[in-house]
Amino acid sequence: MSVEKKPVTMVNVTVDGMPTSVPAGTNLVEAAKTVGVDIPHYCYHAGLSIAANCRMCLVETSNSPPGKLVPGCQIPVAEGQSITTNSPKVKEQQRAVEEFLLLHHPVDCAICDQAGECRLQDYFQEYDYRPSRFETPKWMSRKRVDLGPTIVLDQERCINCTRCIRFMDEVAKDPVLGMFGRGTRQVIDVFPGKVLDNNYSGNIVDICPVGALLNKDNRFRARAYFLTATPSICTGCSRGCNTFVDHFQGVPYRYRPRENMEVNEHWMCDHGRSSYHQLYDGRLLEAEVGQQQVEAGEGLRAAAAALKPLAGSLAVVVSPVLGLEDALAVMLLAKEGLQASEVYLSGRADGEADFYLLREDRSPNRKGVELAAQAFGLELRRFDQLTKARPKGVLLAGVDVPVEASGFADWLSGVEQVVALAANRDPVSAAAKIALPLATHAEGEGTFVNFDGRAQRYLRAYPASGSSRAGWQWATALLAELGYAYAYASAGEVFADLSKRLPEGALGDFDWKKTPRAVVKGVTPLPGGTVDGRPPGWRELIPLRTPSNNDGSSAA
Amino acid sequence: MAQQHDNLEVEDFDVLDAKIPTKTMTLNMGPSHPATHGTVRFNIELDGENIVKLDPELGFLHRGFEKSCENVSWTQCLPYTDRLNYVSALCNNFGFLSAVEKLAQIEIPERAKYIRTIGAEIHRICDHLTGTGATAMELGGFSPFLYAIEARDLLWDRIAELTGARLTTSFGRIGGVDRDLPEGWIQKVKDSLDRVAVLRDEISTLLTHNRIFLDRMRHTGRITGEDAVNFGFTGPCLRAAGVDYDVRKAHPYWVYDRMDFQVPLGSEGDNFDRYYMRIEEMKQSDAIIRQCFEQMEPGPIIIDDWRYTLPPKPQVYSTIEGVIGHFKVIMEGIKIPKGECYAYTESPNGELGWYLVSDGSGRPYKVHCRAPGIPLMSGLEHMVRGAILPDLVPTFDTINMIGGEVEQ
Repeated sequence: MSVEKKPVTMVNVTVDGMPTSVPAGTNLVEAAKTVGVDIPHYCYHAGLSIAANCRMCLVETSNSPPGKLVPGCQIPVAEGQSITTNSPKVKEQQRAVEEFLLLHHPVDCAICDQAGECRLQDYFQEYDYRPSRFETPKWMSRKRVDLGPTIVLDQERCINCTRCIRFMDEVAKDPVLGMFGRGTRQVIDVFPGKVLDNNYSGNIVDICPVGALLNKDNRFRARAYFLTATPSICTGCSRGCNTFVDHFQGVPYRYRPRENMEVNEHWMCDHGRSSYHQLYDGRLLEAEVGQQQVEAGEGLRAAAAALKPLAGSLAVVVSPVLGLEDALAVMLLAKEGLQASEVYLSGRADGEADFYLLREDRSPNRKGVELAAQAFGLELRRFDQLTKARPKGVLLAGVDVPVEASGFADWLSGVEQVVALAANRDPVSAAAKIALPLATHAEGEGTFVNFDGRAQRYLRAYPASGSSRAGWQWATALLAELGYAYAYASAGEVFADLSKRLPEGALGDFDWKKTPRAVVKGVTPLPGGTVDGRPPGWRELIPLRTPSNNDGSSAA
Repeated sequence: MAQQHDNLEVEDFDVLDAKIPTKTMTLNMGPSHPATHGTVRFNIELDGENIVKLDPELGFLHRGFEKSCENVSWTQCLPYTDRLNYVSALCNNFGFLSAVEKLAQIEIPERAKYIRTIGAEIHRICDHLTGTGATAMELGGFSPFLYAIEARDLLWDRIAELTGARLTTSFGRIGGVDRDLPEGWIQKVKDSLDRVAVLRDEISTLLTHNRIFLDRMRHTGRITGEDAVNFGFTGPCLRAAGVDYDVRKAHPYWVYDRMDFQVPLGSEGDNFDRYYMRIEEMKQSDAIIRQCFEQMEPGPIIIDDWRYTLPPKPQVYSTIEGVIGHFKVIMEGIKIPKGECYAYTESPNGELGWYLVSDGSGRPYKVHCRAPGIPLMSGLEHMVRGAILPDLVPTFDTINMIGGEVEQ
């Protein structure tokens, strides 16, 4: 992640007749990308060491031995080199490799979770597209090898590219995977007596180019080609790993890491990966007054009526799971609507950090909430000071608390008025006299500021479920009820207006309008590319499925 | 358009005639008028009974099909093409597919070419029967219409046997056709054509020398060859004006270069010529179909290239190669190489052209249809200006505008 300032020597090469200039040491695959030529590959991954064992990336170069093809992933560019990726010889090699890889591949597409984002499928259709000449029965292998608590391996589907082995060795630093046997009987497995229970094991499912490695969490749950990928940020800790939230009809199905070499490179941890469940499970979807479900407007009026007389003697508690825009709007409400001079910072309880991505602070936006409080000149108090303060009323913006929830709920029951903005049902939201449903970050857009002050945007993946609304929407609605006219139509407007109050240069050169990446519908990277990734004829988000089971069992 | 219908010039008034200050009248005809076939509204400005101005208002069948094509795969465009000229769906199906194949540089198998020619010609006869029958009906002759529909339904039954549908065939696939000719179908078609010939001659006998029909048709709705070319006329309406242009002869496609057939030509460019052109073309189509039956030989009906066609079902169910090929074609659509093309075929009403742009994905980037009916509609005012209102009916009939086609 450190940036070395070495003088870069540029090397001039031509790819299929198109000249390009790339830094010395670049391999042919990356050099070809600069002119829009894709050299197919299975085993090569930019974040791993080079194995050059799949032989899919073989290309012709002007300086290779006569009649020989060279692996594009392994060979660095040379000055004046000309690379040919579409000669008959290369095409025949690609076809032959594809035919070879499919020789013993099971007829699994119909039941395979990888179908739709599978390299075997993509490259077959692009480079082979003809029936097999193989007539003898296929080798059978173990279909369900339980590698550990999260990962299942299908040895029949595996093409032995060794990406997973290299990942566990080089990135996760936990070399439990190995290659066993020879020839057709060669398989991936865990070493005897070892278990694959690493916090980064989910990544091997992402980098597996075929459907051999599968995550138990979403196995047989969703069709990859129906999922829309929306750029988002993981809320599992304060690292702020860039992610895609893959969703279909308003239901999130998984997180996948999105490449950002400065934050999370190509990876994310399993702790964060599993945190998408909170977007769907056990949601509070309607406003509740005294545990009775009411209309959102009624809940809002009840909240305003409860808060108004307590202005000045109210404790406002802000969770750092809220986005920056939400936090800014809540601070505005605290400062102007409720005449508070201090706010309490809640948030999830700290966990253990690990050697790589996972941070001790398990809330995504602590920095952002601190900045928001600073922007309004509000004193930010630690959470443990709240229970000592004995306030008359509490406004909880987000119900994530660093202490045991039921204990805090008991304390809340002694407080006269408790209004909570809650995304999920838990003892704290149940203890609130008035609970207003809060939209998750996947249901709205905004910004998280990670532990080192990097502001990162997340986009709206699907519409808010039930009557839930984003934090800034509730805050501005409450302000309006209290007689303050702040009419914000979007999170962008909130940011544009309220971020002016932030300390100068607090967010660096952050530009709210510069979205992380356009929403790519369907799967990403696109297997072969329909126009925008949607399967033909598919209409996004129609019909929208609203989560109906709030008992914790997941449809996702 | 006889002389007596012309506007009288002011100088012609006799001094004794009282000057009657008249003004033109606007008449709305349609969109659902018993004397027109096709949903269209005419804004007609009349001076007495003479048409001063005619403003056709299209759009009652507008469905945005060109735009819809961008949202579906190339194969899924096919059902949209059925609904262009819905009387001759196969001509549209095959025309569209020919354009896609031109873009992908696919050469379809011989037998598929013959099947396409047969299908297109059968539907050409259907289309001409409908046009002719409707013309007669709207001029008061109901019997020819019934004969025409009897003949058309005979052929539609054959089409149903071949494609599974009478009207919206969606037949043909990129690279060939959907399925081969059914068992015993050739003989049935020959028998049907025999019966159709009898009915066609019956219609011709009833109309061609019919005094009432001739009075309405001859010298009405005239257009010169030069004007027709300038308006962009194609098909029977152009040939009725004496211009010898038929895509099947000028730029032969499929197996038309192997067929022995004539292109009938008119001389007057009037409604009668356009009517008679269709009677003659039906005879030629009949001949083409019979020649195809003689010439065609067994063979594949679709190319064997899994980039463009679905793998055979046994392969899909039992091999990984087959299931991948099937999955990719169905879920992502057939990937047509990047590029653009214009391709055209002779549909019953003229040149049906397709301008296609592909960005290399599974779906069209742009589809444009050059419907033969649009230039004909734009020439309609020219053909009836100054004529009496009743001349509009046969003129609109013989240009045979099809709402589904001109209003994309």
